[in-house]
Amino acid sequence: MLEARTAPSRATLVAVPAIAVALTLLCGFLLFTAIGSPPEKVAYAFFVQPFASVGAIGEVLLKTGPLLLVAQGLAIGYRADIWNIGAEGQLIVGAICASVLAIAFETSTSPFLLPAMILAGAAGGAAWAGIAALLRVRFGASEILTTFMLSSVALQLLYFLVTGPLKDPMGFNFPQSVMFGDAALFAPLIPGTRANTSLLMGLAATLVAWVFMARTTAGFRLMVGGLAPAAARYAGFSQTRAIWIGLLAGGACAGLAGVGEVAGPLGMLQRTLSPGYGFAAIIVAFLGGLNPIGIVFAALVMAVIYVGGDYAVVSAGVPNASATILQGFLLVFYLAASLLFTHRIRWRKAAVAEGSAP
Amino acid sequence: MTATLVFILSGMLAAATPMLFAALGESVAERSGVLNLSVEGMMATGAAFAFAVATLSGSHTLGFLAGGTAAALLSLVFAALVLVFHANQVAAGLAIGVLGLGVSAFAGNRFEGAAIAKPPSLDIPGLSDLPVVGPILFSHDAMVYLGILLVPVVALVFTRTKLGLSIRAVGENPEAARAIGTPVLGIRLGCVLFGGFMAGLGGAHLSIAYTALWAEGLVAGRGWIAVALVVFGSWLPFRIALGAYVFGAISLMELSVQGLGLAIPSQLLSASPYIVTILVLAAISRDQTRLRLTRPLSLGKPFRGQA
Amino acid sequence: MSLIRNLLSGALALAIATGAGIAAGAAEEKLKIGFVYPSPVGDVGWAHELDEGRKKIVEAYGDKVEAVTAENIPEGPDAARIMNQMIADGAKMLMIGSFGYMNDGLKLAKQHPEVAFIHASGYKLAPNFGNFQTRNYESAYIGGIAAGSLTKSKVLGVVAAYPIPEVVGIINAFTLGAQKVAPDVTVKVVWLNSWFDPNKSQESARSLVAQNADVLFSLYQDTPEVVTLAEELGVYVLNTSSDMAKYAPKKYLMGMTIDWGPHFVAEVGKVLDGKFEGTAYWGGMKDGAVGVGSLTADVPAPAKALIDEAVAAMKAGTFHPLTGPVLDQDGAEKLAAGAVIADGDLLGINWLVKGVETRIPQ
Repeated sequence: MLEARTAPSRATLVAVPAIAVALTLLCGFLLFTAIGSPPEKVAYAFFVQPFASVGAIGEVLLKTGPLLLVAQGLAIGYRADIWNIGAEGQLIVGAICASVLAIAFETSTSPFLLPAMILAGAAGGAAWAGIAALLRVRFGASEILTTFMLSSVALQLLYFLVTGPLKDPMGFNFPQSVMFGDAALFAPLIPGTRANTSLLMGLAATLVAWVFMARTTAGFRLMVGGLAPAAARYAGFSQTRAIWIGLLAGGACAGLAGVGEVAGPLGMLQRTLSPGYGFAAIIVAFLGGLNPIGIVFAALVMAVIYVGGDYAVVSAGVPNASATILQGFLLVFYLAASLLFTHRIRWRKAAVAEGSAP
Repeated sequence: MTATLVFILSGMLAAATPMLFAALGESVAERSGVLNLSVEGMMATGAAFAFAVATLSGSHTLGFLAGGTAAALLSLVFAALVLVFHANQVAAGLAIGVLGLGVSAFAGNRFEGAAIAKPPSLDIPGLSDLPVVGPILFSHDAMVYLGILLVPVVALVFTRTKLGLSIRAVGENPEAARAIGTPVLGIRLGCVLFGGFMAGLGGAHLSIAYTALWAEGLVAGRGWIAVALVVFGSWLPFRIALGAYVFGAISLMELSVQGLGLAIPSQLLSASPYIVTILVLAAISRDQTRLRLTRPLSLGKPFRGQA
Repeated sequence: MSLIRNLLSGALALAIATGAGIAAGAAEEKLKIGFVYPSPVGDVGWAHELDEGRKKIVEAYGDKVEAVTAENIPEGPDAARIMNQMIADGAKMLMIGSFGYMNDGLKLAKQHPEVAFIHASGYKLAPNFGNFQTRNYESAYIGGIAAGSLTKSKVLGVVAAYPIPEVVGIINAFTLGAQKVAPDVTVKVVWLNSWFDPNKSQESARSLVAQNADVLFSLYQDTPEVVTLAEELGVYVLNTSSDMAKYAPKKYLMGMTIDWGPHFVAEVGKVLDGKFEGTAYWGGMKDGAVGVGSLTADVPAPAKALIDEAVAAMKAGTFHPLTGPVLDQDGAEKLAAGAVIADGDLLGINWLVKGVETRIPQ
């Protein structure tokens, strides 16, 4: 039997994700057995291989970076009840803005090129999210709908640019830009791996988000605004400000993640820019309980699923969609188990009678 | 030029049908107050299962039913999350969407590249052979007509029946609806399942009738367009249908424009449905009194009547 | 930072613990070859033909080789991880089957000089990184003759992927072949800007038929939807990569078939002998890499004679479809009478011949 909790329980902070992971594993096991992939090989690919070499760890960190960055930005808005679901588009616009600089100064060796790209990317992502903020503030248009539609527009903008103005003139009409110069690329974080210093942006965002939420009044008000708009108004905090902060922070972080991709593993602007980081980061934000520290763990778990999924494709022969389906399971089970945050299970009938009187 | 126009007008009905089914279903769920963002995943699941069953059984009807049912089952999980577990609707929608894409890839894997006969077009002797009008109006498969037929049906249910009234009441103010004895959760469950079934039918039309093949990525954003359509049509069936046909026509224009040698970037046309929807949304949202007439006020908010 | 360090040290310990097992597994003497395909293998299409090449390798070398495959791998940063993992698993040769794998593949090739790479349809080379393409323009020329001999409307429609040189060359050869039997023919093209978009390619095909095309050419579409649609609409159809006759029993013009077998088998042989070197392979009819499949019996006798003659000449290496006089779309002379286009020019070709109505998007 379920009953409402009177006070939040610390144990659930660990129990809920643990239940979600356990149920996901169970479903994954059944699924891979059903399609005839050897479960022990799949398990090896998901649990051991992502940690089995420095290169593999580099790959996990490479994936963690953008997920962490985008999720931290989104969570700021989500805590204030601002639903930005278009981080994918903001990531793309950030990547485009940074790429414009890298392409314009293709031969530059200036140490200021990369910082300029970072600023341009953050500004681009924030501006794209800012459109949604403006529409919400001025016209009351739901940001849930506008952010995702702007995402689709951003994708078409990218397609237009890589087949047109930003196409490599010597690239035989293939839809991609020139390769960026070294000054436009992040330095490797661990030698010999693809993990690069863009991960530091994710860690910085984590720190900022944590300080912002836990230590500043603005962060507190933002959170109260999400939980109880009336109380926030009473405390003199405007909803308008929450909308702007929530969306711009999310957009800027997503834009930075876009810079991390083009100036990191891609090294150029191309059609396939992000394997859906903008959407996966929403899952990360929720799995992390919208908590800056929780999000770090959630981003790592998701990165391991991505990387493990690719390994499982090679060594266990599972379909490429395995990682997708596991991510879906994970969030579904997490959302279901989240009920334990607000409710607890009573095993005996008598206990229910005891505890139900409010 | 005439030929191109006939092509766009005749192709439009078929191109719009998957989105029309999904959008009509989503509009019903939304009017009961539930925002289900998993349309893309549900359509993909519907498309994969429909194609698999139609290929194995040889029956288009069974295929369509399987597609609708598979997606409805997926929407049942969604309904459980948001109605029973009080999960956030945005998060639950995205979770089910991702799950649906994964499920479709697994289910359809064996059927990549399989060939299937399209359902026959319901030609009406005499009418179908008419020039211009024949191909535009009288040479489509049954699902295209069923889609058109459903538009007034859904509209009538909302304006003329007690059920429609209840759905609207639940969408606008669930607490008040519950106070007068309306089963809020039951109605929302029904609407979500209907939305899932319709999204599945839309996906099924895509794989069985429109392209006659299954491939991962077949839905290619149509589910998201369907969500946009609901907004574009401001939750009203006739406007949604109009939007679906306009969007369908735009997607075909994109290709004809190239053949005609006009220099309009195809990406601008691809993006236009979204740009137009954003403008429409801004316009209808600004006028709060008019918006109140159609937009379900409790959209996206959980109902905790029992907690 | 300390988080990273902790993670690292923990993982390193694991790596040491499991390393022994991995090394033992790799001790066998088989040559492990990794195949990366951009789309599902399926029944027909690009990835299917690459996989047929893999089967021929296994047939030829049996126990000496072991093949691992990964299908439907998008062109993006994740492809590099798949390739890397194959190498970590002991692959000493990689066949990477899409243009978009080029830069990542090349980076890996530099890091792993002991691994041989062969890459589909790119243009970059390294000592251990070769590329391979087929002279599909040869079979396109044959397709053009067949199409020209059967079109009544004198309009041919092409559904094409990207305006890259390979595709442009194929459209040119197709048009020149058609003009050989129908000088007044017009060719219309829809650029899809995608290797894979079944709905769009089918809609494009419909739009071309609406613009009076009575022969359709499905150029680098991985799936058979244009072919099935052509049968439904009653127009002739030809396509690249595979023989897709079974999808259009009545209206199938021909398939521009590819056989990677001979090249793959030869390259694996070089790796086994320790003599692999990254080269650019461009196989044509002469090499048995390009062929004509299921040519329709509807082609009238005079055209059929022309086809047989052209096939024989290309097999003998005495005829090139892009032989002057050739004018471009604006009527400027690109090849003087009797001049044959140089391979280097064809690899970077960026102009369409007179008779093609659609422009290359700039």
